[in-house]
Formats: sequence, C-alpha cells, structure tokens
Amino acid sequence: MGRVIAIASGKGGTGKTTVTANLGIALAKLGQKVLLIDADVAMANLSLILGMQSSPITLHDVLLGEAQVHDAVYDGPEGVRFIPSGLSLDNYKRVDSERLTSVVSQLTDQYDFILLDVAAGIEKNVLSALSSSQETIMVTMPTSPAIADALKTKIVAQRLGSKVIGVIINFVMNEKGEITKNDIANMLELPIYGSVPYDPEVRKSFMQEKVAPVIVRKPDCPAAQEITKIASRITGLKTSDAPSAKKVGFLEKFFSFFKIKGAK
Amino acid sequence: MIKNFLQFFAGRILADETVKPLAQIEFLKDFLSKHKYVYSADFEENLNILKRKHLVDSFLVTNMDGSIVVSSEGNGHSEGIVGTAMLSYIKSELPDSESVLIKRNGHWFMLFPLNKKVFIVKAGSELSNLELRALAIEMDSLLLMNKTQTEKRRVPQMA
Repeated sequence: MGRVIAIASGKGGTGKTTVTANLGIALAKLGQKVLLIDADVAMANLSLILGMQSSPITLHDVLLGEAQVHDAVYDGPEGVRFIPSGLSLDNYKRVDSERLTSVVSQLTDQYDFILLDVAAGIEKNVLSALSSSQETIMVTMPTSPAIADALKTKIVAQRLGSKVIGVIINFVMNEKGEITKNDIANMLELPIYGSVPYDPEVRKSFMQEKVAPVIVRKPDCPAAQEITKIASRITGLKTSDAPSAKKVGFLEKFFSFFKIKGAK
Repeated sequence: MIKNFLQFFAGRILADETVKPLAQIEFLKDFLSKHKYVYSADFEENLNILKRKHLVDSFLVTNMDGSIVVSSEGNGHSEGIVGTAMLSYIKSELPDSESVLIKRNGHWFMLFPLNKKVFIVKAGSELSNLELRALAIEMDSLLLMNKTQTEKRRVPQMA
C-alpha cells in the first residue's frame, strides 16, 4: 500500500501546485513509484506546470463515470505518472468530487506515493481530496494570512481523518519581517519539512518554449535542491543518501544571489 | 553592473523595513489553542468535543429500529424513531441513497446510516456526505472505546 498525501494550503498562491509537481519528480528521482493527481477539479493547472496540457482523458471523465481511471494515467517527467484534471468548466459543474476516494483507492497498491494537488479554500472538492488522503502536508508562506489559512486547513483535514504530517514553507526570502521557521512550527504545531527559497528560476520555468518543472530544467538551483531534500525527508532517507546536486561555489552563490549576469 | 549591485544591496539589505508581526503570531497561536480536540476518559465530555470538532449542534445515534444508542443532549427518543422510519422509507424507495438532508426552521437535520446504526445530526449548515461519514466514523470509534472501557471497569459479581 502506497502513501496517499494531500498537498494543501488553504490560501491560494502559496505555490502548492508547483511544489506538488517538483516534489513528485524529486521522489521519482529517489526511486519511488509516484503518481500525481490534480485534485483541483475547478482550477486545474498541474498539467500546465508539467508541460502536459494535451491529455484527452482526465480526472473529470473518471469522476463522471465516463472513463476508467487507468485510461487517465499519463507518463510524466523522470518516470512520474500523472492524472490531470480537465480544464472544461461544463464538466467541472457536473463532476462528483466525492468519488475521488474510490478512484484513489483503486491505485494505492500500484504506487509508493500518490500526491494529491488540492485546491485552495475549504470547499467540497477540497474536502474530497483531504478525505481521500491518509496524510496531508501543508504548503504555506512565511506571512500571517497564509499561516492563518493553513491553520484552518489543518483543522479541517484532521476532522476528515487525514493526518497532517508537516509543513513546507515556500517563497522564503529571509526578510526581517518574515515569520520564522520556528514560529511557524510552533503556531501550526507541526514539523517543518523544509523552507523553499524564493527562486526566480521557478518562475522562469513557466516562460519556456517547452515548459518543465524547475527540478527538471534547473536541478541545481536553490529551490530544486531544497525540494530534493524535502523528498528525502518524506521518504525517511537521510539527506546525504539522496543523489547529490552539483556543488555550487561561493562566488557562484554570491553572484546568483545578486542576479549579476555573466558571473559564471 | 556596479550600479545594479548597489541598488539591489540597498533595497534588499539596508532598506528592509519589514518587522515580524508579533501580535498576529500571538493571535494565531490563540486561535489554534481554541481548536484542540483531545479525547479524555470521560465519554460525556468526548461527545461535546465531537460536537465542537465537527461544528454541529447535536447528534443522536440509534439502532436501525430507532432505539437510542447515544444522544449528545441526553434525549431524542421521538426524533430517533421518526428519523429511522424516514430513512427506512427513503431507502426502500431509493435504495442507493447515501444520506437524507432536511432543512427546517433554519436548521439542517441529516440522517446518515453506517455500521447498522443511524446517525442523526442537527447543525446550522448542511454537512457533505464526506463530513457526515467522518463524524459517524469518529462517533463509532468513540462508542467502541467507551464500550471497551466500561467492560474493563466492570467488576465480576459474586454469587
């Protein structure tokens, strides 16, 4: 039986879809069999982040009972597999998201990890995704509105029987006013899996002829490296057991911090 | 290049006027402390915790014949009989129905069958099937826990 983990945040814009895509690929690189499911049936965009927007059969079709779940599974980057949600608003209004639990249960024995990309908010499709998972990881930002929404989502997940196992802090810029990792751990009463730094390379990954997650396009950038460490922590591997990224020298780090072009 | 560097340095390091919002951090810690749901050995207290956790006003658990298993308010005999009769009727007409939701006088009454019991829930807003199921499963495990504790406490009677 694989682990079914919901990646949730409550607040929109915390980067949970980006984290889900990159974390899934990082887990696959560690040798895990990974399935990503775009459980955001209303605002699906995991397929865009993976660069796999043309998928004829989607989760919508499966939830509508018009397709078998195995027909909606696609091969993604680095061996990861993927079930997209459809972009159609008509189908979104017709789908019964409560069927997600039975869809997920058909797949758990085939994967080591099933990651569900959960929508923002605490509406019905969010509840469906949370109750389909055994575990939940919160993605938040080091700001009070994001943490407030993460708190509410944690309470909802627990009510639905999903164990909230940890937090990923995203968009960390190390400004004085940011809420620190320790404060977030205390406020949410959860362990911190990692702090993903704000990294322009993540944004640039959407601005390519062929879109690919940053962990594929720039595996040595700070955000990709931190996500690789988070994947190791989730699997229980020591960070040193994970495939090491290229060593980055002091000058390279220094120049990349100040974004000075031609520093290499 | 040097101009860019100095501008970035000034903006990023020297002009960081941000301050940690300590009052909000305390507020959020207080918020979480009000939403802790830890069960104790006291079954009555656990029923209240369950009500608060699942945001419902009251609930009643009956057997399929309407006899009461437990009530969060300590009564509800007639509600139990009416609720189970209504659910039986709807199940006979629509066998694949999962739950029954009724809105009356601004309150929602929800009937949900699970493990040969009927969970009758009253709340200010309707719960989805998923939420009803989660409440019923948790209530069912509380009942089991209470039964086990009661059996452990029972002293063998002397003849």
